[in-house]
Amino acid sequence: MKKLILLFFLLSLSFSSCEKDDICDEATSTTSKLVIEFYDALHPTVLKNVTNLKVKEAGVTTFFAFDAVSKIELPLKTNEDITKYSFVNNSSDTTIDNEDFLQFNYTRENIFVSRACGFKTVFTLDPTTPYVKSDASITDGIWMQTITVNTFNIITENETHIKIYF
Amino acid sequence: MKHTSKFTFSLVLVLLSFLANAQQKKTDSIPPKIERYGIRVGADLFKLTRSFYDKNYKGLELVGDYRLTKNYYLAAELGNENKTTVDDRINSTTKGTYIKAGFDYNSYENWLDMRNMIFIGLRYGASTFDQTLNSYKLYNTSTYFPEAPVVSPGTKFNGLTAQWLEVVVGMKAEVLKNIYVGFSVRMNRMISNKKPDNFDNLYIPGFNRTYNGDFGVGLNYTVSYFLPLYKTKSTPKKEEKKKK
Repeated sequence: MKKLILLFFLLSLSFSSCEKDDICDEATSTTSKLVIEFYDALHPTVLKNVTNLKVKEAGVTTFFAFDAVSKIELPLKTNEDITKYSFVNNSSDTTIDNEDFLQFNYTRENIFVSRACGFKTVFTLDPTTPYVKSDASITDGIWMQTITVNTFNIITENETHIKIYF
Repeated sequence: MKHTSKFTFSLVLVLLSFLANAQQKKTDSIPPKIERYGIRVGADLFKLTRSFYDKNYKGLELVGDYRLTKNYYLAAELGNENKTTVDDRINSTTKGTYIKAGFDYNSYENWLDMRNMIFIGLRYGASTFDQTLNSYKLYNTSTYFPEAPVVSPGTKFNGLTAQWLEVVVGMKAEVLKNIYVGFSVRMNRMISNKKPDNFDNLYIPGFNRTYNGDFGVGLNYTVSYFLPLYKTKSTPKKEEKKKK
């Protein structure tokens, strides 16, 4: 009889250990976005806020709008090895707005996360040409003066991957 | 719900059989108690029928036990499963064979010539299997780009293994002479689990669906045939001495 009680105790223990794993927890680290920080070109250690920055995939109309922030996050395509973005600074003022293109080149690897989340993509920026900077069709000069890669491996959003000086 | 109704059905069946046997009691005098010893072999009907109605599942489990002493039985299950697990984001197929071995302890005190069991038991389970990752989706918190198409690598992972312990609770009832129906539920706890690179064992033959922790559950619904080998007429005490 004692054995019986012990076994049923074990059983109840095992029930209490069941975890819900059907829904992907939002806190789970999944596919990371590209984290870009903006710095002042004259004082390279000082963060600089962008003004009415519009970012969109080149050739697409839907855009991200950023204003008065120095750090932005952009998704990368998980089914292609390049993602080309258009960055329009001062987009609200047509006299001083300036569009630059920035194309990111990378390799991808799909990593298993869990039953509920499936897989995630981790990106590695191309070691020789991680990005290609170009001007828009209206040649108004390039507003991004210098770009540096801080981290080539895009695994987490907790670190900065690209630094742009303007 | 499916399982609940199955369980209720088995329960009623077992209770009915008790009733049927109880009604056979005709006399108050106690005849010498005959204990029969032998081998019982059978198959799991749950897996067998599931193979018909579930197109993602094919499985067979053979069960057997051998009565060692009055209350202890050596017990084993041997099975083969082919299961395609369809989750929201992952589709994978597991194929493999398993064996479970251990003992059952009959805690039911039978009347007269009844030979039923309400038992608890322990098993050690081991499985060798392979897995195919049919397709998966990439999880992306950003919806700016259209969702990436489903990736179908079809990668096959061979030579995977797992070991676990099972606690079994169940019953077996003699419905016809030497024919038994049984039902059991099982709680599994993983001991070792060789996972594939960059994937997980979402299903393990014998262990069933895996969860984030080490625990799993299972059940079976068996029909088996008892092959008597010898009988004893003595009291339980004497029997135990003999066995030693």
